[in-house]
Amino acid sequence: MTTQAKGSDKINGIIQACRVITKMNQARPDAPKSETLYYQMIANYYNRLLDAKEEGKFIAAHTVFFPAEILYAMDITPMHTETTTWMMALFMSEQAELLSAGAELGLAPEICSPHRGLAGAFALGALPRPDVMLWSNLICDNTAKSGELIMEINKCPGFYLDHPFQNSEAEKKYLIGELKDMIHFLEEKSGHKMDWDKLAEIVARMDHQIELFREICELRKAVPSPFRTQSYLQLLTADYLCPGQPEAIEYLETLRDELADMVRQGKGAVSPERFRLMTLFIPPMYLTGFLEKVGQEYGAVSVVEPLFTRWGEGRLDPSQPLESVAKKADMIPERRSMYGPLTESALQDILDCVEQYKIDGAIYWAFIGCRHTCATIKIFKDILNEVDVPMLTVDCDIVDPTINSKEEVRGKLEQFFEMLEDR
Amino acid sequence: MPPESSKIKNIKPNTLDRFREVNDRFPKTAEILEHKRQGKKVFGWLCTYVPEEIIHAAGGLPVRITGYPQEMELEDGNAYLYINNCSFSRSCLQMGIRGEYDYLDGMVAGSTCDGARRLFDLWQYYIKTPFSHIITVPRKYTQSAHDLYYQQVSQFKQHLEEHLGIQISDEELLHSIEVYNESRALLKSLYELRKLGEPPITGAETMEVLNASFRMPKELFNQWLKSLLNELAESGNHHSGRARLMVVGSVMNNPEFIKSIEAQGGLVVTDELCTSTRYWSDPVVIDGDIAPLQAISRRYLNNFPCARMVPSDERFNRILDLARNFKVDGVISQNIRYCVPYAHDLPLLTKRLKAQGIPTLALDVEYGTSGSGQIQTRVQAFLEMIEAKRK
Repeated sequence: MTTQAKGSDKINGIIQACRVITKMNQARPDAPKSETLYYQMIANYYNRLLDAKEEGKFIAAHTVFFPAEILYAMDITPMHTETTTWMMALFMSEQAELLSAGAELGLAPEICSPHRGLAGAFALGALPRPDVMLWSNLICDNTAKSGELIMEINKCPGFYLDHPFQNSEAEKKYLIGELKDMIHFLEEKSGHKMDWDKLAEIVARMDHQIELFREICELRKAVPSPFRTQSYLQLLTADYLCPGQPEAIEYLETLRDELADMVRQGKGAVSPERFRLMTLFIPPMYLTGFLEKVGQEYGAVSVVEPLFTRWGEGRLDPSQPLESVAKKADMIPERRSMYGPLTESALQDILDCVEQYKIDGAIYWAFIGCRHTCATIKIFKDILNEVDVPMLTVDCDIVDPTINSKEEVRGKLEQFFEMLEDR
Repeated sequence: MPPESSKIKNIKPNTLDRFREVNDRFPKTAEILEHKRQGKKVFGWLCTYVPEEIIHAAGGLPVRITGYPQEMELEDGNAYLYINNCSFSRSCLQMGIRGEYDYLDGMVAGSTCDGARRLFDLWQYYIKTPFSHIITVPRKYTQSAHDLYYQQVSQFKQHLEEHLGIQISDEELLHSIEVYNESRALLKSLYELRKLGEPPITGAETMEVLNASFRMPKELFNQWLKSLLNELAESGNHHSGRARLMVVGSVMNNPEFIKSIEAQGGLVVTDELCTSTRYWSDPVVIDGDIAPLQAISRRYLNNFPCARMVPSDERFNRILDLARNFKVDGVISQNIRYCVPYAHDLPLLTKRLKAQGIPTLALDVEYGTSGSGQIQTRVQAFLEMIEAKRK
């Protein structure tokens, strides 16, 4: 299959891949139920997208960290652009085609590869054509700048949601105003009215979802830690695709219960657990299975990812649904450390993680396309050094397999684990 | 190949040498050191969304943070900001870490792009300039964006007042607006000369003037620029070239880069850079009952936009206007590697310029580049293409 195929074929590819994984899981007696629910959740998401395309329903493409709660409340079908592109590419090993198509559009190689590939995917017609494009500056200049080219490729209107940099009262008010403007735009373009009661229900579930994320994080403090290293990517996907949706809640509740059982039984994700790791940023996604295997071999497990799994304090209030959507934007882990000023409290949070999760070492996946994150490598290394936690930095690209070889990554990890062993 | 253009036919204006001297000594210019000697404060600023008038009205000397004047090994810049942040940020940070800006009493930035905001974060953490402030800069032009930016500008003013233990009055702000507007008007006059068929000043020389404008008291700069304009009027200098060019893209303030283009026979007649046209283009307008601080805030958010702003067509349309007004034959887009806002805009801008019959040469560069052999070859080919098209 090539990316010249219709968008619906590609989406079908994701669904088929999820079904295969689900069947494989069902064949394994020890497979956790949460795994099955996770892949069902993804398959359902893309089935809804396919149905929407066929039935002529209104589709909104949106970039990462976008408040999809609003789309669900307006009965608009969301298409998470980064997740969809890369799930499609990774399941079908088509990264090179997408990146090449991005280059043909004139996008420089220094632009983050997920966004180059994203534009390439639309140019190739590999993603369904959206009715509107929605994007924001969460989390970087790439997200802020990716929307207009996609609008032009798809000849569709779009809305840019401007997130303020800090979180003063004036900035909170500004964001709420932006959300109102976006709802107005969507009502005008889609003909759908905002259902405020439905938004309140979604916000109530999102609040529960965040509590579940926190409970899962708490369970990971146990020694041994029950959660597999790469599974945190599934937590992100649940929030990206299905914020405040019943199927995300079901998946997370099941996962939480499974982890709680493991903790009660003293079971760890790796056995024996030798190294408790802090993961900073995201490893190459095409190596997740391989990295899991290396971790098992060495008894190394990631127990916390401060940039991705540490939610900010506070609760969402369904009686103030729009304010809560704005508040969530301020609470998401990525917002607190990768966007906005690098405050003392953000740095202290890293140190708190070391103590709370009993960290032996940290691995920073230095994704070459993520400039604003890599700018924190030195600071993080320095503060971790102060508490005697060594940090390994691995240069990588999260989607482009031409950057790292398995052997090279394995070599670096092995050396790091040996160094931890010697301490 | 000997250039056909950029001939200096008459005398070199003396004032240009004075501007060059300021730049040669930067960051420790005589003017900055004199300001310090008088017991006054110097504040570094990053990015054109920081309103200099407020610093000026507080009695401070605003100095633009720039990096090394040439492409350098950036060992410290790489170590602190990592290799994938733009070389402008890395160059500036390295200078800061090595104490070249040790006279600064403060550092002010805007949340304009990833490079700038992280440079500010690391500056604050490792260099610890006594005063530091970052302004949230919205990316839109809506009324609520203006309200937020005004609130941010007011907060900055208040923070600066508290730090210095002073109150900045409306009269002081009005005076600063007058000084800065005069500077903008004089720079506009300089650019008007570049619209001529054979301008009396080259693009590289203009860049020297602009660099000095960030590095000395504006009152003195205005005096010197008036002298330069008089000298140019009397000089009889005429520069011509194989093609009239505009330079667009990332932050760039190296006259040597422009010189290398002009040495090939291209005549750089205008630009869309935050170190030049976008720096001076729009005055602060005091109309009706508007308070001076509001007028400042309105000007800075509405100014000729950086690629960070949305919609990008605001920027593209102003570039197209410049191309028409300065009778541009071709556009050179120089993008610093990892300068993402401009890299994303490039395909869209190229398409719009092409629709107007204006070709674009896209160059990936590092900050401070003086125009390597490869760049010269590509400029040469670009000029040949423009000439062939003309025939």
